[in-house]
Amino acid sequence: MTIQVLDPTASLAHDVADPGPDAGVLKDKRIAIRIDMLWRSWDWVSAIWAEGLRAEGAEVTFWRSCGRTGAEGEAAARDYAALLRESDAAIVGLGNCGSCTSWTIADALEAAATGMPTIAVATAHFEGLAHNLAKRGGRSGLRLHVLPYPLDILPRDQVDDIARDQYRSFLRNFGVRGGLAEQSAA
Amino acid sequence: MAQGWGDGLPLIPPTEARVQDFLVAGGRFPDELIAVLPPLRAECTVEKIAVNAVMAGCTGDAMPLLCAAIEAMADPSFDLAGLNATTGSVVPAIIVNGPIRNALDIPYQAGCLGGVAGPAPAIGRAIRLIMRNVAGQLINATSQSVYGTPGRVAGIVFGEWEERSPWAPLAERRGVAGDAVTVYGAMGTANICDVVADSADGFLDIIAKSMAYPGANGFLTSSAFSETLCAINPVWAEVIARSYPDMADVQAYLWDKCALPIDWWRPEYRAPIEALGRIGAEGRVHLTPTPDDVIVMVAGGLGGLHAAMLHSWGTCLTVTRPIR
Repeated sequence: MTIQVLDPTASLAHDVADPGPDAGVLKDKRIAIRIDMLWRSWDWVSAIWAEGLRAEGAEVTFWRSCGRTGAEGEAAARDYAALLRESDAAIVGLGNCGSCTSWTIADALEAAATGMPTIAVATAHFEGLAHNLAKRGGRSGLRLHVLPYPLDILPRDQVDDIARDQYRSFLRNFGVRGGLAEQSAA
Repeated sequence: MAQGWGDGLPLIPPTEARVQDFLVAGGRFPDELIAVLPPLRAECTVEKIAVNAVMAGCTGDAMPLLCAAIEAMADPSFDLAGLNATTGSVVPAIIVNGPIRNALDIPYQAGCLGGVAGPAPAIGRAIRLIMRNVAGQLINATSQSVYGTPGRVAGIVFGEWEERSPWAPLAERRGVAGDAVTVYGAMGTANICDVVADSADGFLDIIAKSMAYPGANGFLTSSAFSETLCAINPVWAEVIARSYPDMADVQAYLWDKCALPIDWWRPEYRAPIEALGRIGAEGRVHLTPTPDDVIVMVAGGLGGLHAAMLHSWGTCLTVTRPIR
């Protein structure tokens, strides 16, 4: 005998598979880098990447995600939205745990929804989660740069080496044209 | 089960007739939107709640509680997006106040945190299935919980023993009198046992100092702020209230004692803690920013001897909603 049952699940949101616009030429671009209060390694990596971005003519602004609930969370949401309004591209990290990957992807999706070039950054262990959350957030094509895992337990000199080693591939993933990105591609 | 709709335990098939009966008993329209739930960002309607509740073995009279609990969890302050994805072992605890506790046979006396034969496990399981099937919380797909917790199967659903509490009910103190649900992001439950104390200060000391362990959520430098919750048995509560009839004084006492000296931590921890402004008078670090963040309720059996602590997760803030 067959029993008909009702579906307990909900369907996925409409999906955008397009990664969005390339970052293009960096000169005179205002780039927002979203950091957090969790991962010192991301502070170190993003500081080195910011040096490179500035060397190619970009203006870099850091924004640190802290409390995201209650009154502090509401203020953070306003600050982040204001940052995005004043930026041309966004680099959002770091997905290096469950909840921080969730917030990284949420913030990256908010940036991508404005139409600006956006890339999220996560460590390898949380790559799958980041893709899943992006897909469930309706943007499976969200750009994602993956750093090695574990990262945060490494000493600074090793993390700095990783940041420098990864910089060119990061630029390519971000769709940067010219400068170091094209030199490395050649 | 083959569709991945379950938790591994047998499910009751959610036939149209069963779901219809549930909806009728619950008195809600099926297409009513209750909340949008992350990580799927899916619309959770009354019908989806009913389908999952039927699967869990829940009865229709629990519908108002289920709807209120889902509404509460969807409040941005609860950070359900982070909670459903975290590496932490957190599950929303469902705390019920008001006459509906008795109408639904929600446990609040002996064994209230688990083991009482009654509807609470089915209610908790219904919410867990909603998180799985509607919100999309799946281990290794969207949830990264390193350990999980037994509460992720049948939930943590209990009430406050208001009739034996010397203080106003928890929900009323949080601004919602009568039937109400409070959701709290609980990193499991842990026991505090004492056979020596015979005074209010003695009981509060052992509770507070037990809650202050270095790996507790409130001490993590990755959280800007946090809360904590303890359940006090009615026997201890009566003694405590003789000295502290005002709950604010109980919270203040617990907050003051629920602290560790900064030199308790290894040196590499001290700078991040100091950077957060967490080092208070006499070099002590309090578990929570303020006394208001120490949530206290009365529940448990008359055997005394034990309190329960439920540590928080991240910056998840407790939310209370009326049950209508």
